Formats: sequence, C-alpha cells, structure tokens
Amino acid sequence: MTATDLLPALKNPTEAERQLVDLFSAYNGDENQRRSFDIFALTGLPHRRMEQWKWSDVRQAVTSLQDGSANRPSDISAPDEAISIEFDGQSWSFPDELPEGLGIFPRTGGHDFGQADRLPMGALTAAMTGHEPADTLIIEVSGKVAAPLSITVRGGARSASFGRLVFILREESHLDLFEHYSGGAGLASYLVEFGLAEKAQVSRTILQEASTKDVTAITSTAHLAAEANFEQTTLAFGGKLTRIETHLEHKGENAKAVLNGAYLAASGYHVDFTTHVTHGAESCVTKQLTKGAVADGGRGIFQGKFLVPRTVGQFTDADMQHQALLLDNGAEIFAKPELEIYADDVECEHGNTSGQLDDEALFYMQQRGLPKTEARALLTEAFIVEALEKAQDGIREQLIEATRKFLRREREQA
Amino acid sequence: MLDNLSAAVGEDDGRKTILKGLSLEVPAGEVHAIMGPNGAGKSTLSYVLTGRDGYEVTEGSAKLEGKDLLDMEPDERAAAGLFLSFQYPVEIPGVPVMTFVRAAINAQRKARGEDEISAPDFIKKAREIGQILNIDAEMLKRPVNVGFSGGEKKRLEIFQMMMIEPRFAILDETDSGLDIDALKTVADGVNALRSPERGMLVITHYQRLLDHIRPDKVHVLAKGRIIKTGGPELAEQLEKEGYDGILGEAA
Repeated sequence: MTATDLLPALKNPTEAERQLVDLFSAYNGDENQRRSFDIFALTGLPHRRMEQWKWSDVRQAVTSLQDGSANRPSDISAPDEAISIEFDGQSWSFPDELPEGLGIFPRTGGHDFGQADRLPMGALTAAMTGHEPADTLIIEVSGKVAAPLSITVRGGARSASFGRLVFILREESHLDLFEHYSGGAGLASYLVEFGLAEKAQVSRTILQEASTKDVTAITSTAHLAAEANFEQTTLAFGGKLTRIETHLEHKGENAKAVLNGAYLAASGYHVDFTTHVTHGAESCVTKQLTKGAVADGGRGIFQGKFLVPRTVGQFTDADMQHQALLLDNGAEIFAKPELEIYADDVECEHGNTSGQLDDEALFYMQQRGLPKTEARALLTEAFIVEALEKAQDGIREQLIEATRKFLRREREQA
Repeated sequence: MLDNLSAAVGEDDGRKTILKGLSLEVPAGEVHAIMGPNGAGKSTLSYVLTGRDGYEVTEGSAKLEGKDLLDMEPDERAAAGLFLSFQYPVEIPGVPVMTFVRAAINAQRKARGEDEISAPDFIKKAREIGQILNIDAEMLKRPVNVGFSGGEKKRLEIFQMMMIEPRFAILDETDSGLDIDALKTVADGVNALRSPERGMLVITHYQRLLDHIRPDKVHVLAKGRIIKTGGPELAEQLEKEGYDGILGEAA
C-alpha cells in the first residue's frame, strides 16, 4: 500500500492529512489498521461541518503536523503505592512485577475498534497504533487490585503521538485509575477502551493539561455488563484544542455510571467535553455532573447525549447536569445537552446553565472583608469542586489545589 | 459620622435620589437607632455606607474614625472596621461558614498588616460565640446561609459580627423575620458587643428590637433626611402615634 492508494479517499487533503497518510503508509498496516484508516479517511480530521465537531474544528487547528511544546512541568504526584505506567509519546513502559490480578500485555498488530465509524479520532488512533515499539497495551484485571494504576502520558515534543490502552475487567474485578495527560505533541490522539464484565468496577480520574500549541484528543469507550460500575472524574485545562470524548454503553441490567468533570479554560485554551451514553439494558443508572469556568479568550464546550432505546431502556435512571461560569467578558461556552428517549418508564433529567457569578454573593463576601478577586476565586472554587468530589483519594486534593491556582491566576500558562 | 450625605440609585431615566443631605454622628461607645417608614432610605443608607455597586454618592462625606469611607472598596471599608448585618443575608453555595468567616477575618487582618488568627484560637472563639447565639457546630459546617431559616440567617449575621469584632456595625432590619426568642438571642449578642470603642447603628421599622437593645439616641429618617432626633422615648412615641404623627409634626 502506498500513499497514493490512500489519498483518493481524502477529499482535498490538508497538509496535515497528507502527512498522516505518509505516516500511515510507512507502516505495514494489517487489515484491521487499514480498515480503521479508511474510516478515518472518509472524513479526514474532524471539522466544523460535522455536527459533532461544529465547535471543535481539528482540521483548522492542525493545518500541518508541527512539533509540540515541551511537556508541562507537573506538580501532581501519584500515591506512593501506585503502579506506574508511562507513555513517552511513542511507546508505553510498565513495571515487570505486577500484583496478582493485573496483567499488562503489549500488543502488535491491529486490534478491532468497533466504534471507528462514530469516532474519527479513535479510528485514526486505531490505525496508527499496533506498530513497533509498544504503543498499545492490553491491561487485564482479574481481581481486586488494591494499588491504583497511575498512567502518565506525555507527547514527548513530537509532531504526532498516538497511544492505545485496552482494559479488560473480568467479573467482580476492581481497578482505580489515575491518568495524567500533560500535552507535548502537536497532534496527540489517545484511545482508551474499557470492557467491564459483570460486577466489575472502575474508578477513573483524569487530569489533562497542555500548552496552546498542542491539539489533543482523548477518546474513551466503556461497555458495562450487568451490575458493573464505572466512575469517571475529569479535570481538564485544555490546550490549543482538547477534545475529551467518552462513549459509554450499558449492556447489562443494573449497571451504574458516573461521568463527572470540570473544565477550566484560560485565554487561548479550548476544552471540549463530549459524552454519549446508551442505556442498552434495563434499570441502569447514569449520573453526570459537568462544571466549567472560562476566562476571557477561552472556550469551553459541553456536548452530552443520553440515548434510551424503547425496548431495552426501561427503568433507566439518568441525570445530566452542565453548569458553567463565564469568568470574564469574552469567555465562550457552547453547550448541547441531548436526551433521546424512546422508553416510556424512565427517570431522565437534565439541566444546563451558563452564567456569571452572583453579584449579591460577591458583595456580601466583600462586605465581610474579602477582596473581590479572592471572593470570586472562593465562590468559583466551591462551584467547580462539586464536580471533583468523586475523584480518587490522594488525587482529589491535588486537583482542587490546581483549580485554586487557576482561579487565582497563579497557574503557570505554557 | 455622616455629613450632608446625598445618594442616588439607578441610571439614566431610572435614577432616583434617595438620600438628600443626611447628617448623623454616632460616637464610639454609643448605639443609635434609625427608624423610618418604608421607602425612607434606610436600606439605601446601609448600602451607600458599605459601598454596594449601583449606589452613587452625589454629595457629602462619610467617615469612620476620621477615615473617608467613600473612597474605599467594600472590602477596604470592612478592613477599616465597618460591618453590615444584612436585612437579607445572601447564600454562598459550597463555602462552609467556618471557612468563610476565617477567610474574612484573615483577609481583614492581612489588609491591616496583622497576623492571621491561629486555627485553635479561631475554633475556640467560634465555639464560645456559637454557644451564646445557640448555633451548633453542625450549622457552622454548612454552606453560608444555604438552606438556613430566616432566624438562622439573622443569628449567623450576629455570629459573624461577634467573630469579626468590627469598629462600627450597622444592623439593617435585623429584627425582621425573628420570633420573640430569636429576637432576644440576637439582642443578647448585640449587647455583648457594646463597648466604649465600638459604635452601632440599628436600623429598624419597629420599636420592639429597641426594647432589648436600648439605644442612646433615636433618629427618624424620612424622605432621605433625618427629621427628628431624640432619646429612647422617641421610639415609644413612634410606636404609639405612628410615623404619620411624627411626620406631620416635623412638617
């Protein structure tokens, strides 16, 4: 396969898309990987004319593949007992000795990605991974792993970085996960898949940081069997463009999911939270709380969808809340909450607000002696922190501290 | 001390002059009451003094211990020693009372160049004052005013006043929404703060609070000015004759 064979599928490719074709052509991709790339090539880099990407135009943000910045220096530390997995922009490394119930296997060759047609960045990542050296890990959890897994992902100052993680959680297994993405690649795309068997539990905490040179897509999928439990808390600071997209499907009865998160966008930063939850089995629960705070020149996006099919989605209990604060004039927030419900015996709620801090509350706080900036920071912090309450112990306080620094403009902007 | 204070609210066509040359002096150590009918400018006075946005002073001056208040931001006025017990205390979602009050005290101390209050001192003081006001530790852990009853909110205002120990306190309709027992509790708190170094201005519509907090002087505010000043007996006269009687007499 040569670059010219692949090109026709891409209409009017941009410089970046040509470079991606060249990159892919250099691999001797197998059938799976070629299929993924073909699906990606149908749309190319996602752009504003695609409904799901109308506020996050990756094609425009990445005109050509350029080196990313150095990684942000991080002041976040994982708990001491954590099992550390690192990505250097090209390949994963992990400890040789692992506790019982945890297996990590590098994978070469394509690994089927079933939802490629709905997730173009996921399709691109599936095509670009499975090559040497180890850019794909299969992580199998077969018991209750006590120590948390700490996953550090760096772009390694590359022009493009692709990595993939496939989690297989066996029945009644349990995993705590902390993922820290710190930017550092011009274009980074990561694909993280979770398959939860019956009664499996995952508690996932994500911190995303990057510079205003970095475009990052973190695409996650999760399938939950009966009585499985998936909890996710994300804190994202964005980058030139950051898309954190999670597609979750309840496939067995009584599964539970929590998808919480907060985005904090300073001037020049763009953060996009997109989620899609399908209630494909009866009596499943989804609770989603997303908070955002955006400064002048920043952009925050929330797109959430609950799909409850008629035959299988009965007795769904779902709640989607998005609440955002515009910290200054010139801040931009776009939100599209969607409930698509065909079942008739369900409890589904949603709420969506964007606004400014309450002037009465600010005056009250000032009257008690707090300077206006401090009053604003305290009020905003309390607002944001609610979405971080379910973050992992030991990480939560650090996320709150990072939020505090952001709101007091003490955070170093890369 | 207020001299010939005039103030307006609103912008352009909606602009209204509420205070029209109000002069008043409350010496340290004294408690004065301001009474007046609805629309007299009572609440405007408290917002003008504390520096709320939208209240513009068009004339006159307001000084606390010689310092010109009107040039200061609201938090600077607080650090200078000015406290307002709000008629309608505001909810601060997600910020527990203890966190808030400690942040307020320390912000004021920092502005004055003083050391922060230590955690043990703060907790001890909060416990003591909580006992006087019948506020338990559980209430102090809740977010400020969120889900509080009217009486709880007013008691919490007095709690904050006693914690902050201002040089000058304005109590804006602190009696509204209080039952007799709560009124007594609040008055006990206010009386406990009476001191030769501290002045207080009690704004009220009714006389009943003044049965518990005996003022040194009573001023009647109407149409943006003080129209009559007297001793505590003036409050009793008002209660008997109503505002119409006094207003007619002054005119």
